[in-house]
Amino acid sequence: MAAPIILTTVLGTLARIIILGSRYTQTLADRIELSTPVTSWKLMTEGVFLLDHGISPYEGDNFHQPPLLLYLFFVIHKTAPSLIPLVFLFLDLTTAFLLYLLNPFSILTCAAQSTSIINNLMIASTFLLTLKGQRISATLTLALASYQSLYPVMLIVPSAMHLAFLKMQERKETISYSSRTAVSAILFTVGSFLIWYFILLGVSYTMLESWDFVRSTYGFTLSVTDLKPNLGLFWYYFMEMFEHFRIFFLWVFQVHAFIYTLPLAIVLWKCPSFVFFCQLILMAVFKSYPSLGDTTVYFALLPVWSHAFHYLRNGLVISVMIVISVVLAPVLWHLWIYAGSANANFLFAFTLIYSTAQIFLVTDLIFAFLRRSFSLQHGMKALKPDGTEKLVKLQ
Amino acid sequence: MKIVSIISVFLLSFEYGFASDDDYFIEELYMNPMPNGFVHSHFQFSIFSNSNLFRSSGQHYDLFPKAVGQIIESHDVKELHLSLTQGLWRHDKWGYPVRSSPPGAELWAWFNETPARSIDESWANLVNSLSGLFCASLNFIDATNTVVPNLSFRPSGVVRGGECPDQDSVRYASLPKENVCTENLTPWQKLLPCNSKAGLSTLLNAIRLYNAHYHTLTVDVQPVCQSYPACTSTVLRLTQSISVVFRPTLNAGHQQWSLQSLFDRPLKGSCPLAVKSYIHVDISNESISLDYTLNPPPSKVTSDDHGKVASYDVAEMTQGRSSLNIKFKWTSKVIYGKANPPTLHAHRFIAGYGQENGGITCMIYNNDISNAVDVVYMETLPWYVRLYLHTMKIKTENGTDVKPDMLRFVPGRDRGRPYLLELMFTLPPASVITFSIQFDRAFLKWTEYPPDANIGFYLGSAVISANLPSSANFTTARQLQDASLPSSSSSSPGSEQFIRIYTEPLLLQLPLPDFSMPYNVICLVCTVFAIAFGSIHNLTTRRLDYEKKKETIWMKVKRRIPFLGKKEKKDSKESKEEKKEDGRARDASSTNEDATGDAGRTKEDVAKGTKVD
Repeated sequence: MAAPIILTTVLGTLARIIILGSRYTQTLADRIELSTPVTSWKLMTEGVFLLDHGISPYEGDNFHQPPLLLYLFFVIHKTAPSLIPLVFLFLDLTTAFLLYLLNPFSILTCAAQSTSIINNLMIASTFLLTLKGQRISATLTLALASYQSLYPVMLIVPSAMHLAFLKMQERKETISYSSRTAVSAILFTVGSFLIWYFILLGVSYTMLESWDFVRSTYGFTLSVTDLKPNLGLFWYYFMEMFEHFRIFFLWVFQVHAFIYTLPLAIVLWKCPSFVFFCQLILMAVFKSYPSLGDTTVYFALLPVWSHAFHYLRNGLVISVMIVISVVLAPVLWHLWIYAGSANANFLFAFTLIYSTAQIFLVTDLIFAFLRRSFSLQHGMKALKPDGTEKLVKLQ
Repeated sequence: MKIVSIISVFLLSFEYGFASDDDYFIEELYMNPMPNGFVHSHFQFSIFSNSNLFRSSGQHYDLFPKAVGQIIESHDVKELHLSLTQGLWRHDKWGYPVRSSPPGAELWAWFNETPARSIDESWANLVNSLSGLFCASLNFIDATNTVVPNLSFRPSGVVRGGECPDQDSVRYASLPKENVCTENLTPWQKLLPCNSKAGLSTLLNAIRLYNAHYHTLTVDVQPVCQSYPACTSTVLRLTQSISVVFRPTLNAGHQQWSLQSLFDRPLKGSCPLAVKSYIHVDISNESISLDYTLNPPPSKVTSDDHGKVASYDVAEMTQGRSSLNIKFKWTSKVIYGKANPPTLHAHRFIAGYGQENGGITCMIYNNDISNAVDVVYMETLPWYVRLYLHTMKIKTENGTDVKPDMLRFVPGRDRGRPYLLELMFTLPPASVITFSIQFDRAFLKWTEYPPDANIGFYLGSAVISANLPSSANFTTARQLQDASLPSSSSSSPGSEQFIRIYTEPLLLQLPLPDFSMPYNVICLVCTVFAIAFGSIHNLTTRRLDYEKKKETIWMKVKRRIPFLGKKEKKDSKESKEEKKEDGRARDASSTNEDATGDAGRTKEDVAKGTKVD
């Protein structure tokens, strides 16, 4: 029983140790698929160095990580700089303990020392703690996750719903989100999240005695000033956007990232953990600086809904699209930047394919989930009077 | 190269005092034939004016140009230094110039603090005024290429009361891509008292000037002491200079040049408004002193520790004659030798490959075998060259690290402020120090690229400032610059000489997007967003249900038209029966579980085109 877990743990740890210890860490740390301006290790090193020399990293426009993370790595750098790969290994193993290990995306992200590892850890912990009903710690990890990058804020909705659901179950009441227990549970959850979040902001303020970091972290994530290519949809769009419309489309894109929260919560109200899961996928596609590290958490959680795979219609297409885009994107990046023979359009095309694959995945999964619940209510098959099957369609 | 200093010559010029209320004007031409065949000509026009005149009512401008005076007054400028240069001064071949300037345009200024305006406002106004005055595109100087250097650019004029000026009141900017042409020469010449009609400025022939290897046009305004050593009052000195480096062609193996051959015209006379009008020819080079002829013979020849100079008093020499044409000829055949590089020179270049990141490396040479030299290195890079300070390395030839004595780093802001790096470190004697730093290239929006985007972007020169001990081996007539200051080099041998070296500018390729694609990109990305939005909108606003019978248009029409009513009733009865049967069939089949129909159903769904995608 424990053998598969031990085997995967050992294999995963070995894979990470080998790559972290090899000379490929530097190359991986620079890859655009693995590190973005928000999570890059090179920028973190620069931030720690500037802090060491008494220059605030937030004065320039290069550093986009929040102060607590900066100080964490500053302290580690001061005490034992050679232990940094071990820190990443440890963080990833902790996430793995909750989730995954042999996913190649996660191995590469750990080896690239991208700080999205920490984000993944927080999101995974939130999921686990929400399922276990621990409100205080769940909201703490969620506050940490959204403190680091802005987008996990949207996970408060499924989290609150699930915690309220557990509360109602506890009290043996009928499940209704408008009942008193539900509303009070939701309010408590949101309240404790906000309290944790403001505590974190306050602590960050006291570290460098200024609010500069807000402009550098959240301001940067929202205003997308750095157009470095990544696996997302924003960079080329804002590179080629007419100046006149830039702000309008910036608002549209950023609001778009958040608008799926409520509709999904309303339709899938019976299963908030599934809403959480769909939010993870949508976040990985529509955030301003996505990377391969954002997909690792939900790929690991995918088998949880394997019962819905029966109704998936585009499985082959999705997997082929993802494999092709992840394999070819680095090639075309090299051709554009280093060989000078290709164009930005090639990389952009594969970025589009990667995003579309993930969108197909989430829509297909939602359809499969809904179809399965329809089958549970109305049965697997219905016959028309002439003996042919009735079709089930969205109407 | 031998040490030359002409300061003694110029000190002589100032031994008699002037009436403190008058403006006075001095014009000089310094020519240096170098053994490697280059001829450096440096014209310097200095106008001294009592600055108190500006502040008194009436603002009477005599020789000092009103255009410059008004600019100084209205923008609260204490000191102004502008240079427009085409070409790179090759320190290792030519020594040090009289007034060093980087390729392109460079402007730096010290301001007086006023409560009325901020320094940034004054700077912006100054830049635009100068741009209009000299017909140069200096208006491209804005916050994205202006820096506030602390260590490198100290006031070069007199500082009142010995007080340290506020570090924030200096501004520096450079435009490495700026071109110089006749359009800039003409307004510059108009500022001279004699314009281009008399005196040394008649030699400024645009066709010859702009065909030279190097030419620069400079304007310096600074307050200087009126009398030494008791500096009781200051005058404002406007120094306009043109520096040209020609390479005259060989004539049957002998190199010779004359004013006529270089500038295509002889000198007709001096400017009547000039107090002093001189031509100095540097003959301190050893090979010259043996083997040259200089026609006509000079008014006087001064030689001291630093070198030998033949001087011509233009007013005197042109009194009897119609024109003065100084001819210089090497009597023996020319053998071009390898030039000895001066004490301090530098070479800067871009390292790395690909368009993602890169590095800047600067090699600084100290050729002095006995003295260590302290240098201040200043680097200004635009915001799209994202410097990483932790990758900075300063190493000697054998790989040992040199720790900088002072380090100042101002990180840049995207589209707001450039990167400024100022370092002070010591060069050991007879060594080469390599400074290197890495950067990432930013990706710009498509409108931010210049029209010829494939050329790349110009990065301005780095500035290396140093105090060289005067016993150090350096050639210069650069004391021409400080002719009014009692440079201590003539008095004590152990004092220092300040020099400023500019490195090469760099050309950086940034990765380019496809400029023809805006509409396509917008369409494609919005399509992806629409796929997501449309699918999820469908899934959340519609319910899954069994397929209902589709009503054709004919049936709709029949339903609405009354005289077809009978058929309608029949239809409704039949449909009611069908529904009952459906209900029974549904109940009956609810317990069935059949997995094999899935594939067929899926295909049918796809075939019928479900509304999900």
